Amino acid sequence: MSKAFRLKFLLAGVAIVFVAVLLAETLIVKVQTTYVRKEPKFYSAAVASLKAGENVTQIASQAGWFKIRTAKGIEGWIHSSAVQTKSFTLAALDKSLKTQTTAEEVALAGKGFNKQVEDEYKARHKGVSFAEVDRMLKMMVKPEELRKFLEEGRLGDFGGAR
Amino acid sequence: MRSPRRRLFVLMSGLAVLVMLSASCSTVQQQIGTLTGGKVSSCDVESATKITKAVRNSFADITEEEEYYIGRAVSAMILSRYPVYRNEALTQYMNHVGNAVVVHSDRPETYAGYHFLILDTEEVNALAAPGGFIFITKGLLKRCKDEEMLACILAHEVGHVSAKHGLQSIKKSRLIDAFSIIGQEAAQRYGSEKLVQLTDIFEDVLGDIAEKLIERGYDRKYEYEADKLSLHISSRTGYNANGLLDFLDTMVGDASTESGKGWFKTHPSAEDRIGKVKNEISSLKSLAPKREERTSRFEKVLKGLS
Repeated sequence: MSKAFRLKFLLAGVAIVFVAVLLAETLIVKVQTTYVRKEPKFYSAAVASLKAGENVTQIASQAGWFKIRTAKGIEGWIHSSAVQTKSFTLAALDKSLKTQTTAEEVALAGKGFNKQVEDEYKARHKGVSFAEVDRMLKMMVKPEELRKFLEEGRLGDFGGAR
Repeated sequence: MRSPRRRLFVLMSGLAVLVMLSASCSTVQQQIGTLTGGKVSSCDVESATKITKAVRNSFADITEEEEYYIGRAVSAMILSRYPVYRNEALTQYMNHVGNAVVVHSDRPETYAGYHFLILDTEEVNALAAPGGFIFITKGLLKRCKDEEMLACILAHEVGHVSAKHGLQSIKKSRLIDAFSIIGQEAAQRYGSEKLVQLTDIFEDVLGDIAEKLIERGYDRKYEYEADKLSLHISSRTGYNANGLLDFLDTMVGDASTESGKGWFKTHPSAEDRIGKVKNEISSLKSLAPKREERTSRFEKVLKGLS
């Protein structure tokens, strides 16, 4: 192996691994909206909110939670069920898969069964009303409300948890 | 290149690559471990990584957003059969109990979160549409004697959502057809022909779920799994898991006019479930105590139930 080739090989290796590490630390929000919380607890106060498709940087992890930094530089905790790791989109680089779509690509493009399909379904089924469904979606439990409920009922971290 | 400095450079660079490589693997594995609750071996992690890279071919590849749209339409179907019971205090209370168990489940976040609604019927029933739309009937609420019972029932429904039992009732051929159409279409919006095809499949998907959820019930194994999940989720939340047993006891030998409908029709018999639930409870390390604070707030808010 020539010296130059060996050096190039080494540099390429370092670059590939470096990119892989960077991607592995980037998380994408996969739910419509979620809170960035002060502590890794659902009842902890929200310091920011995120929307589907937003990228955040992972700083640390702990029992199902990621400590993250948002694009605006805000740090806090986000639950693992709200995000996916960006590294998986590397699959898109695989030439054998070029003609097909991965779940991640569909999610990012907002394709699949989406609003357009729902609108077409509504046009076909005028008797099926989505008004109550939309009203149901407005019922949200805020972190401070949840905390009060758990505290008063001595639930979770506030009493009866095993 | 043969100088000691160059040799040291190559050695250090090589070492750096090794360190970064191991860091990269551990980061990815740690993330998968976290996502799966840490209950996977390194072999599982390897195969999980391969699966996530594969193209879509099963219910597990349905995206969060797609699950949400399926759940919305299934909920609209449920709400066209049953009227909503309007009682703000009670609905809010149910959402509090529901979210308390949700945050202690294995899947606390879904695309648009979990939401709980009361249906105005004497029929005894509870239904969970994909994505986290959960319905409980007034008839079922009347059988609950305390917060533990209600929490265990809601935890059973959250278990169905968390384990994606609704999505698993979709026939695989429909998903393959849908994924194929979705994969072909590169544009942001579907052309009319593709939209018609995709909506046809969407209707069939809803039909598959409604048949199981409303008409025939899930496979028994899913009901037993949801009971098991209920015990674990309610215990983690701090509820006494006997609440599920107490509820099932109210269903034994029921001869009311409602006994041929709803939960009685779509679930395995209470007697069968009680045996399995008792076994599972005996395997729990300990049971959380029932608290007076919870029973009294339950009784207070349930007073308004007519």
